[in-house]
Amino acid sequence: MAPSFLMAESRVENVWGAPKLASNIGVNVDWLFNIILWLTGVVFFATQALLVWFCVKYRKQKGVKASFSHGNNFAEIVWTTTPAVIFVGLFIYSRHVWNEFHVPAPSNALKIEIVGEQYGWNIRYAGKDNVLGKASDKAMNKENKLGLDKTDPAAADDFECYNDMVIPVDRPVHIVMRSRDVIHAFYVPEFRLYQDMVPGRTIEWVWFIPTRKGNFTLACSQLCGTGHYNMQGKLDVVTAEEFEKFSAARAPKPVAQTAPATPVTTVR
Amino acid sequence: MSTAPAETSSAHHHHDETHHHEPELNFFWKYIFSTDHKMIGLQYFWTSLAFLFLGGGLALLVRWKIAFPEVPFPILSWVIGAPYVVDGIIQPGFYNMFFTMHATIMVFFVIMPALIGGFGNFLIPLQIGARDMAFPILNGVSYWLYLLSGIMICASFIVPGGAANSGWTSYAPLSAVEQYNLTANGQALWCLSIFVNGLASIAGAVNYITTVINMRAPGMKMLRMPLTVWSLFITAILLLLAVPILSAAGVMLCLDLKMGTSFFIPSKGGDALLWQHLFWFFGHPEVYIMILPAMGIVSEIMPVFARKPIFGYKAMVYAMAAIAVIGFVVWGHHMFVSGMSLTLSVIFTASTMLIAVPSAIKVFNWLGTLWRGSITFTTPMLFSIGFVSMFIIGGLSGIFMASTPVDLFIHHTYFIVAHIHYVLFGGSIMSLFAGLYFWFPKMFGKKLDEGLGKIHFVLTFLFMNLTFFPMHNLGMAGMMRRIADPTLYEHLRNLQPINQFVTICAFILGFSQLIFFYNAYRTLRRGKKCEKNPWHANTLEWSLEYPIGHGNFPKIPTVYRGAYEYSVPGFAQDYIPQDQKLSQEEESRLQKAMASSH
Repeated sequence: MAPSFLMAESRVENVWGAPKLASNIGVNVDWLFNIILWLTGVVFFATQALLVWFCVKYRKQKGVKASFSHGNNFAEIVWTTTPAVIFVGLFIYSRHVWNEFHVPAPSNALKIEIVGEQYGWNIRYAGKDNVLGKASDKAMNKENKLGLDKTDPAAADDFECYNDMVIPVDRPVHIVMRSRDVIHAFYVPEFRLYQDMVPGRTIEWVWFIPTRKGNFTLACSQLCGTGHYNMQGKLDVVTAEEFEKFSAARAPKPVAQTAPATPVTTVR
Repeated sequence: MSTAPAETSSAHHHHDETHHHEPELNFFWKYIFSTDHKMIGLQYFWTSLAFLFLGGGLALLVRWKIAFPEVPFPILSWVIGAPYVVDGIIQPGFYNMFFTMHATIMVFFVIMPALIGGFGNFLIPLQIGARDMAFPILNGVSYWLYLLSGIMICASFIVPGGAANSGWTSYAPLSAVEQYNLTANGQALWCLSIFVNGLASIAGAVNYITTVINMRAPGMKMLRMPLTVWSLFITAILLLLAVPILSAAGVMLCLDLKMGTSFFIPSKGGDALLWQHLFWFFGHPEVYIMILPAMGIVSEIMPVFARKPIFGYKAMVYAMAAIAVIGFVVWGHHMFVSGMSLTLSVIFTASTMLIAVPSAIKVFNWLGTLWRGSITFTTPMLFSIGFVSMFIIGGLSGIFMASTPVDLFIHHTYFIVAHIHYVLFGGSIMSLFAGLYFWFPKMFGKKLDEGLGKIHFVLTFLFMNLTFFPMHNLGMAGMMRRIADPTLYEHLRNLQPINQFVTICAFILGFSQLIFFYNAYRTLRRGKKCEKNPWHANTLEWSLEYPIGHGNFPKIPTVYRGAYEYSVPGFAQDYIPQDQKLSQEEESRLQKAMASSH
């Protein structure tokens, strides 16, 4: 590859500001972001303007003495309570939005597990029954990378991909996160979503609805070692039909149709 | 060595002899193993400024790699060489080492020792009217521990495997398992170095607290102390409570790494988040440890050049105290998305919003200090005003992260990098220069050149903004921190021109700092001796003629008032030093003016 000296090829749409939104939770995140942007923007311009204005107006001038003032209690009260009220408001609204995301995933949510490792993503799909087979971090070893319990009937139709994630648009996706070694992070800026994946813990509260089709990058966003700089996978949001095709192509061929499809359950 | 300068305040009144006429110390005892707080302060400055070169150089290497990942950096193969650099190209694994060491050095070996070790040692005894620190030998030991920790961190570059590469935050289990980080030796040295560095901080903190409580000159009530002393006093309390946690965590990490324990290794029964809780329990007070002294310095300088009392002295003190207290219960805001309990995230949002209030109070009081002043734009004043301006940006961008849902979006992106650099470069480093320009006459008896100083300020202010402001946008566009080569990512490739612009500005910013060193060199070589109080300031140190002897004050001064009585109506001179005894008539005029100044 030729050195890209001030000449980067443009592949994605935006350079300024946030990338185009692609998830339901991002609507509220962007809304809150903009509220804070306006709020801080006003404070920014007001305080910087005051600073410049004071510097010009009260520069040293012949015959003008500085005023002898030690402060003003009324002013102190005003500029203590005003920010306090604004911050309380922001806190209440932030908490409201935060709690809105963190409700149990709807029962029709597509279940996917992502297990980070140095330096890639193991992605496990729940298959037709939408139930992930049991897995435990304690059972992880070289052969059984994800610590799966193959005897679990729910595991029969599960399938795995590496660095390649495909999800359908407009359907809730519930992502269970684990890690094999160090902390990795699931981060997709278009979804406005970040979550650390901590070894020894199973993170079960992340779910969202992708709202537009597109090709995204699943980039690790938590320093995870010397190969961190290039730990990335593909993340494609496709139509429901395309997703069906994708699943059908990957799904393990049924050996014996013993267990009837178990009813969809949510793991909470 | 002279007699121990420690005295109780009751003894001050009997101390009528003129100056300590001590035997001339030889070079070794005067400059190397000194117990004189002023010399120790200067030792801290010289050492930390040397580290500034190393830390700054590493920053430029990091920036080069991000902007021009494929372009060889001409002299690197020769200076650093394999395996870090091959054919002038920084290898991605070692890139991690460079940013880890950049942050470690800047935090523990530049900002803390310069602001706290340097200004703390130099100023506290002079400004409260003491002959030295309470424990002069411990003070020397503190510097030597700091230097030792510095040598250890430098040595870690040459051990097998190289220096630590898991970030200055050293998140476990990456940092705790050799198989994961591949630099067990460097990481272990990092832990030990931070431990020794912590000992130095603790020793210094004990000294500052004892000195401020016990050794103030007669009349120097707590609420008459200059705000620099207040800020350093509160910082010392923070150090004393926060640093031991890091030291303990560092030892635990080292044991995990080398001795087979598993405090932080989940596969062996430990907990990865335990490290983060311990680290940030130290790490967030640490942020205030790095900014409070800066606030103190600026609060000291602004009244002098606005020729006006500081606006809301008590509010300033209370705000600092509030920051110190609340600072201990906000650490979780670094961990909103770490896998920690979601309920905890909500609680930490509340405390984080709360701590923004005292910071806002301080900004408004600085503005109030300028209001109706008579401002002279000397270099220290320019750096102080620059500090306020940059601190506003750094403070406001922090609000985005405090809001948990927004943190989901910008966590671990360049938005955060922009934020911390506005606070630590725009805040701490700008105030470091403000303080150095301001107190240089007290340290060396000469004033730094104002022309060069102003060029230094303009270039620093301009290019720091051009370097760090675009990073907000990089973060919003989704660029993660700590990646060596953004062009590997399709969604970041079109941001590369911004990255290159930032890097070019960072280089200019870095090289602009050389102006300061040239200025210092030229002033020390050829500068004229200046008067003892060139800025017409009120605090006690300006009453002393350069060079200030071991023991500081020929006679311990008596303090009659606070440090900020400038432009008092009815007085010809527009400043009244803290130790100046006024006639009864003058004193009543001052009291009358003060009564109507609130």
